[in-house]
Amino acid sequence: MTMKKRTFMAATAATLASLSSPLLAQAQKKAAKGGPAEDIVFGASMPMTGVFAFAGIAIDAGIKDYLSILNESGGVEGRKVKYVPEDTAYKVDQSMAAFKKITSQNKVNLYYADSTGFCKAVNPELERHGGILMTGASFAKEISNAQKYPHQFMVGPDYSEMVAILLQYIAKTKPGAKVALVYSDTEFGRDPVEAFRTDTQKLGLKIATEIVTPPGSVDVSAEVIKLRRADPDYAIFHGYISAPIPEFINQARGVGMKTQFMGTFWTMDNSTVMRMGPNADGFMGVMPYRYYYDTEGKSPMLEKIRKMRPEYQATGYMQGFLAAMLLTEAARRTLAAGNELNGKNMKIALSSIRNFDTGGIIGVPLSIKGNSIPIGRVYKADFKQQKMVPASDWINLTQ
Amino acid sequence: MRIGSAKQSYAADAALFDSRTQWAWVAVLAASLLAFPFVANEYWLYLACLVAINIASTTGLNLLTGYTGLVSLGQSAFMGLGAYTVAILQIRYGTPMLLNLLAGGVVAMLAGVVVGVPSLRVKGLYLAIATIAAGVIAHFVFSHFADLTGGSAGLSVPPAQVLGVVLDSSFKLYWVIVPITALLLIGAANLFRTRIGRAFIAIRDRDISAEVLGIPLLRYKLLSFAISSFYAGVAGGLFAYFFRAITPESFPLIMSIFFLAAVIVGGMGTMLGSVLGAVFMTLVPEVLKLIVGWLPLGDSAMLVLSPVRTIVFGLMIVLFLIFEPHGLAEVWRRIRRLFHLWPFRT
Repeated sequence: MTMKKRTFMAATAATLASLSSPLLAQAQKKAAKGGPAEDIVFGASMPMTGVFAFAGIAIDAGIKDYLSILNESGGVEGRKVKYVPEDTAYKVDQSMAAFKKITSQNKVNLYYADSTGFCKAVNPELERHGGILMTGASFAKEISNAQKYPHQFMVGPDYSEMVAILLQYIAKTKPGAKVALVYSDTEFGRDPVEAFRTDTQKLGLKIATEIVTPPGSVDVSAEVIKLRRADPDYAIFHGYISAPIPEFINQARGVGMKTQFMGTFWTMDNSTVMRMGPNADGFMGVMPYRYYYDTEGKSPMLEKIRKMRPEYQATGYMQGFLAAMLLTEAARRTLAAGNELNGKNMKIALSSIRNFDTGGIIGVPLSIKGNSIPIGRVYKADFKQQKMVPASDWINLTQ
Repeated sequence: MRIGSAKQSYAADAALFDSRTQWAWVAVLAASLLAFPFVANEYWLYLACLVAINIASTTGLNLLTGYTGLVSLGQSAFMGLGAYTVAILQIRYGTPMLLNLLAGGVVAMLAGVVVGVPSLRVKGLYLAIATIAAGVIAHFVFSHFADLTGGSAGLSVPPAQVLGVVLDSSFKLYWVIVPITALLLIGAANLFRTRIGRAFIAIRDRDISAEVLGIPLLRYKLLSFAISSFYAGVAGGLFAYFFRAITPESFPLIMSIFFLAAVIVGGMGTMLGSVLGAVFMTLVPEVLKLIVGWLPLGDSAMLVLSPVRTIVFGLMIVLFLIFEPHGLAEVWRRIRRLFHLWPFRT
């Protein structure tokens, strides 16, 4: 008798459980369909914590601010844009989980990705989903391949183009100079090595040396000795955010090297450079965007940003702001042309952007042809002013 | 209340499920696993596949650490080897999925035997450190043999094809991953009904006595490493098909620690422990995300979540080890005993 009662109870429990889950699933599926006069959902895998947190917090603020400006002025063709971010701690599997969660609970059309690894991992999903146009914090050269990554693009030059911009500046300033490349032994670091080799040859520059550092290395004295032996006029660092660049600069200046040190986008935040120590005065690098405090040239958007946020915003803020601007512009053009909001149409709309005024975030009007925007300017660190000041004109690699 | 169950043969005594109630519950589990994909959304299917892959790997590690007593921090290296083997075979030769998984398991198994050799001289903590070397060597191999492994950029795995169906969504992958995991679990459970399993347990309890009893330590320790890394290799292969992109950074040391924590929290030396540990370690971060999402924190919810998650996670592991060192499996068994012995307490 007990046996029968227990099996009966087990059967009831199981039936109830299996009946309630479809109800739960239905509720979730309804949420995924969205309401009438739909908001356009802008999802994001945001590295709010972890190694990339400084950038993630800034990017998040940039996207939020642009979307609030946009929504206040009517949104995209009358539709508001809803921002749905999730923290990923810069880990690819957490990023994927966040993507799956956001796309299963919302009808997502625009997405911001946190890393190169995630962009690559999610690419097949994006193609299957078909409804999303994606950009992100990655400037990897691989993603600038529009055939392989048809629903993604980069809000700036890819790392190879960044190095090319620096080399163009060097070739103009000191023709035939000796250039060294110091990079980290990671996917991020190795990205522009090929481009470095070919572009130095094309521009008539000499490769002084190429130095690889293991990721996370702290002691670089051996590499500094190598650099000293090569005695380059310019040394480009790539694949780092800050460390070990300050060690390199301090040790090099200590042995009397007169090399001009340069860096790429993620090193170029004002606070990062100012913390490198007084030896880093004159440190140069390529920046695709203006800085928060830039007042040269007409920048109505920058003035708006300064009004909204009285304290200094890091370079990631500009990247997020511009990403939101371009993604929503692609959506706007798609809807204005009467097309369905999907990845393919939005990418075509994005590629139709010609001489677009970013309101001063980028100093020249931009046109998007492939998957990247190869425009940048060389900035120089001025320790007296505690600011990065422009050292060149805007260099556009497509011209 | 179920009192004893008299067995009348050795086979019945060694059976995995020994009563009709247990079989009924197994049937309920099987039915719910079959029904789950039809009622779950994309996110839950994704989690289910991830949990299944983690169960497979945790079972392998439990075999090595829980049942044989050989602490290993090289699980992620073997998973990486399995994943890369599967990726390379799929990309270059397009061989069938099951064959690739088998090959991945075999490659990981061979590596496991090599890594296991120090276990004959070194025990406990020192063996754990020796197995870290496996991770370092594997990472080096993955990053530097760029022609084969794609170097730092890694490999992009095309979706698997089984009987003409392209497995490109979590729903479709579920139907391959879950049966394979179930098979691996049943295999492991049955292993401990055989001489090999009992030898492993003897080695864990006191390997010198085991040797005196006639168990050749060399053969059985290496066998333990071999089987455990086979499981890790197959789990790594499933990982490759699931995430479709693998890089040398996909298999860090922290992943080995994840699996070791899953084994310890779940319950060392029990099959149920592997399952519960893997489920716990995979789902607790997601559940915490849900809970923090409900709290009225507004904008700063995202910033608060990650540190809270790490703290709660670490705290739960520590509390488990203090209050229930035999892990979640023991908690499960206690609850079961409560039902079995009711209305009595002990």
